Amino acid sequence: MVATRPPVGWLEIHPENFLANPHATELLADLSRDYPISVHTVGVSVGSASGVDRRHLMRVRALIDAIDPALVSGHLAWSTHAGEYLNDLLPLPFNDETLRIVSAHIQEVQEALGRAYLLENPSTYVAFGTSTMGEADFLNEIVRRTGCQLLCDVSNVYLSARNMGYDAYEYIDGLSGDSIGELHLGGFNAEPDESTPGAEILVDTHATAVADPAWELYAYTIGRFGVKPTLIEWDNDIPALSTLLAEAARAEMTAQAASAKEPSHVDAR
Amino acid sequence: MSTLAETQRRVREAVVTGDAAPLADVLVGGRDPLNRLRIHQRHYETSLVTAVVGKFPATAWLVGTPFLTAAARQFVFDCPPKAPCIAEYGEEFPAFLASRPKAGGLPYLRSFAELEWSIGVVSIAIEHSPYRSDGLAHLDQTILPDVVVDLQPGLRYLRVEWPVDDLMKLYLTNSAPSEFVFAPDVAWLQIRGARGSFDLKRLELGDFVFREAILDGQSIGEAAERALDATTNFDPGRGLANLLAEGLVTASRVRPQEYGS
Repeated sequence: MVATRPPVGWLEIHPENFLANPHATELLADLSRDYPISVHTVGVSVGSASGVDRRHLMRVRALIDAIDPALVSGHLAWSTHAGEYLNDLLPLPFNDETLRIVSAHIQEVQEALGRAYLLENPSTYVAFGTSTMGEADFLNEIVRRTGCQLLCDVSNVYLSARNMGYDAYEYIDGLSGDSIGELHLGGFNAEPDESTPGAEILVDTHATAVADPAWELYAYTIGRFGVKPTLIEWDNDIPALSTLLAEAARAEMTAQAASAKEPSHVDAR
Repeated sequence: MSTLAETQRRVREAVVTGDAAPLADVLVGGRDPLNRLRIHQRHYETSLVTAVVGKFPATAWLVGTPFLTAAARQFVFDCPPKAPCIAEYGEEFPAFLASRPKAGGLPYLRSFAELEWSIGVVSIAIEHSPYRSDGLAHLDQTILPDVVVDLQPGLRYLRVEWPVDDLMKLYLTNSAPSEFVFAPDVAWLQIRGARGSFDLKRLELGDFVFREAILDGQSIGEAAERALDATTNFDPGRGLANLLAEGLVTASRVRPQEYGS
């Protein structure tokens, strides 16, 4: 990226890959002069009952101050517990207690970072019987309470709907479209669902091209909510840059085509 | 209904230790949600083992990838990360690796792995503009002992009981001499790096103690005293001049509480 400066609209980074790497941060600062940067946190852990890591938050703030990103986002998930970082985006029950905790943490994050935070819907393999509301309703209520925005990962919507047995299009319909500030698309892999003989479970790997059903759901999402900044996530088994650029170009063409016509729930599937 | 904290404690146990049974009454998803939870268990283990092993390729060369990977697998279960920057995870791994029962025959293993860790850390540092070699000449020489200097960020000092730097050079040059004598021999190493490259250098004892003390935040006078306590052969003037000549000093200040007292 630093050497070739390819013609892409913007870049997204995980700050956790830069905070302990001064050389990479130096290169990022250089890139930030040519590209808008989106900072997508993976370690802020707004869902942790034990609280947000203030030291980590301050380090993210310092990076933000250095590169002045266009967007800052994170996940509806948790990854820290009692001073340990579990290096994954773990699921939450959707109920009043979680709503209260996550809302308080997002407000804390937004105050610490001095800007609105975008919250991404998770990729889900298991959920909790203690949930009392659906994920889309939960996200909408978080938005209402905190003023944050949503990062709608369309691939996660498709994957979670398949894994958990609900309708991805109804999920999209249930989101508060005005609050969506960014879209994600990423590759996933199917593997045998050992819990159900003959069935498959989709795993969010970011290691392959975006699947056709996710593209179709993306077109539907654009039709519903209009064109939004869209990122192709591909951060494992990373291909040649040309492959990644082709995916980005497909997203742009799909968005242009979808925004020019009315959404069609049935046709899109 | 369990609280979120209790639920997360159970999920943590399931992800790190594999004990998912206490979650059987709260998880849903597929016919056997505990089985699906293995996706998270697998990600925790695989991602962290890959990260740790990836930081110690020279150590893998020394002890073999299977041994290193098995140790890393145990490490991620015994010592989960404490912070979200995985680049910082693994500093304790050399000691952990050396404590494995089968590592007893390699008394230099910990030092070798610590050297590799240090090389990794300095190689992603950046260098600042150094002071010129006469950069402290303008100071009143009577206050020079109270001056604290900052060194380049990509510097580490390591005392080793075995000449593991020689072993590291074999790895780095991919060379296999017909005969290699390896015996205990104390060495004082400076590891300097920035922007993807690094340099290994052996120091005399006095310079090592002096520079390590400076890096530790001691004043020039305090560092010189430490070095002279270690060896009477140390020449403070030359030690400071060498530090400047090598471009290691980036800033200086006089300790406020000392200056003028």
